[in-house]
Amino acid sequence: MALTVHRGVSIVLIIIAIFYLYLAFQLPSFMNTVIDADTIPKITGFLLIILSVLYFFMPVKETEVEKEKRTEAKNDWRYILGMFIMTFLYITLLEVSGFLVTSIVFIFVCTRMLGYKKWKTNSIVSVLVPLFLYLSFTFLLNVRLPTGFMPF
Amino acid sequence: MAISLEGILFVFIGVFVGTFIGLMPGLGPISAIAIMIPMTYNMDPTIALVMMAGVYYGAIFGGSTSSILLNAPGVAGTVATSFDGYPMAQQGKAGKALAIAAIAAFIGGTVSVVFLMLFAPVLSSVAIQFGPPEYFALMLLGLTAIASLSSGSTIKALMSALLGIMVVTIGIDAQTGTVRFTFGSANLLEGIDFLVIALGIFALAEVCALIINRQKTTFNAKTIGSLKITKEDFKEMVGPMSRQSVLGFIIGVLPGAGATIASFIGYTTEKRFAKNPDEFGKGSIKGLTAPETANNAATSGAFVPLLSLGIPGSGTTAVMLGALLVLNVQPGPLLMTENPTLFWGVIMSMYIGNIFLLILNLPLIPYISKILAIPRPMLISLVVVFCIIGVYSISFSIFDLYVLLAFGVIGYLMRMFQFPAAPFILAFILGGMLEQSFRQAMTISGNDVSIFISNPLSATLLALAAVSFLFPLWQSYRKKKKNNQSLSM
Repeated sequence: MALTVHRGVSIVLIIIAIFYLYLAFQLPSFMNTVIDADTIPKITGFLLIILSVLYFFMPVKETEVEKEKRTEAKNDWRYILGMFIMTFLYITLLEVSGFLVTSIVFIFVCTRMLGYKKWKTNSIVSVLVPLFLYLSFTFLLNVRLPTGFMPF
Repeated sequence: MAISLEGILFVFIGVFVGTFIGLMPGLGPISAIAIMIPMTYNMDPTIALVMMAGVYYGAIFGGSTSSILLNAPGVAGTVATSFDGYPMAQQGKAGKALAIAAIAAFIGGTVSVVFLMLFAPVLSSVAIQFGPPEYFALMLLGLTAIASLSSGSTIKALMSALLGIMVVTIGIDAQTGTVRFTFGSANLLEGIDFLVIALGIFALAEVCALIINRQKTTFNAKTIGSLKITKEDFKEMVGPMSRQSVLGFIIGVLPGAGATIASFIGYTTEKRFAKNPDEFGKGSIKGLTAPETANNAATSGAFVPLLSLGIPGSGTTAVMLGALLVLNVQPGPLLMTENPTLFWGVIMSMYIGNIFLLILNLPLIPYISKILAIPRPMLISLVVVFCIIGVYSISFSIFDLYVLLAFGVIGYLMRMFQFPAAPFILAFILGGMLEQSFRQAMTISGNDVSIFISNPLSATLLALAAVSFLFPLWQSYRKKKKNNQSLSM
């Protein structure tokens, strides 16, 4: 039996379900409730195991379209990973250096990384949009965005 | 109230922004509503409501627009629109196609809001007698229905729904106070906010998926052409519009079915009715009118169970429910009796949203469609910023932003392995209610499961849920058996 993609996925799901069930069995129980807090999680976990096992043994054949969808990122996985890493940095620095600075840098660098070359347009947009957002959230919606080390 | 100057302004903003977001390939009504929710925090609920209705209709129309202009349907509901819409655009009649789509959408939407007005109160008056067992059965039916009716593999949709239920069990259990699955983190005590999930698994994941096609066509807005349609064109539209607005509404009311199925059924039935079915797929007016009417009729139809039972029947209405809850509006049988102003406000806003779409949005479409010319790399960066600001402005928590990113990654992986995300968000919204009603029912019965079967209504609903769960499995089993037989012969 070959380890096809769908079998790999179902194994991952089974592991998730077992971990979830393990946690569910650790939950404390109370004598005085009819259905305790652990009932639904246990049912959910077992159902996921059953379905994943079923899925494992299903004769699923990947269609061409599905394969294309799964592998279409082959050449671009670096960009996608880069995107997630940059978003991670953006979040981490948001309260340190403030919304305005972080967003300007993020939009500029990210747009450049993804292949947009006109740096003039890029600079204008990456400054104006965060500025517009900052002003409208602060003054129109009364939502305070982090300022970081900046005075505003 | 809704007709005040302020109200009109906000419907317009809603429709405009909705179209804007809906136009972006990959972003549909779910993302549009989720992105706009943070804007409504300090707003008057009625005003916010009309704005959200505008966003909703605008996003659907925006999706149709990109289907017609680029052959790039933003969401499944507008796939059928591209069948005849895109060929029309290629023939240089993009403006006409857009006008036809807008009118068809307007008729479908408006007719079904009238039906909604008639049926929702009736259903509410029945639902008011529902107890926990009926609600439990109803929600189970909703979940199995979306799983079996959603496109692709049923078992994947069900697993996606189970993952959604797992995520909703994180946090303090409302009934016993037990802390569940928080790994000792105080940030998780209150559970994960639905907006974090919706923005992560839809907007963020989908926009990252855009990276793959980031160098694709930039669009030239000059090619749209005239928006005029002739009397003959209109005559051709009347038939499909009148049939599909009824059919679409009925399909929309059914749990799980929704806009996608309605638009496909609409397309195929009209093709069957047509005198010259060969024209379909080559820019037929009927072929464009049918799915657009049905799509919009179904969208309003999906509001019937949402407003009268408080139960969303699709991913989009699930997010809409989330938006209503943020505004402190609890849809359900009591809404109509306890807060009639709001109930009729919702209905009113749907009419107004539709009208605005037609008279204000349509003439602006050549300008709005310029958004398609925004370079993808920039669009991607900007949407990420919108997602971040959206989550931050509700919780002011960096932790929630990391959760958002995590769900972005999860959503991206789900998309890669073709696990549908709509059942996940629906189960996340329904999961809490499902657990609560199950436990209430069991408490009432004194831990006796037969309460779900002894009551005729919940027994019927459970039977339906079982059928909608087992039927597709049985069907695929039979299909395989048949294939195997023919292979061995």
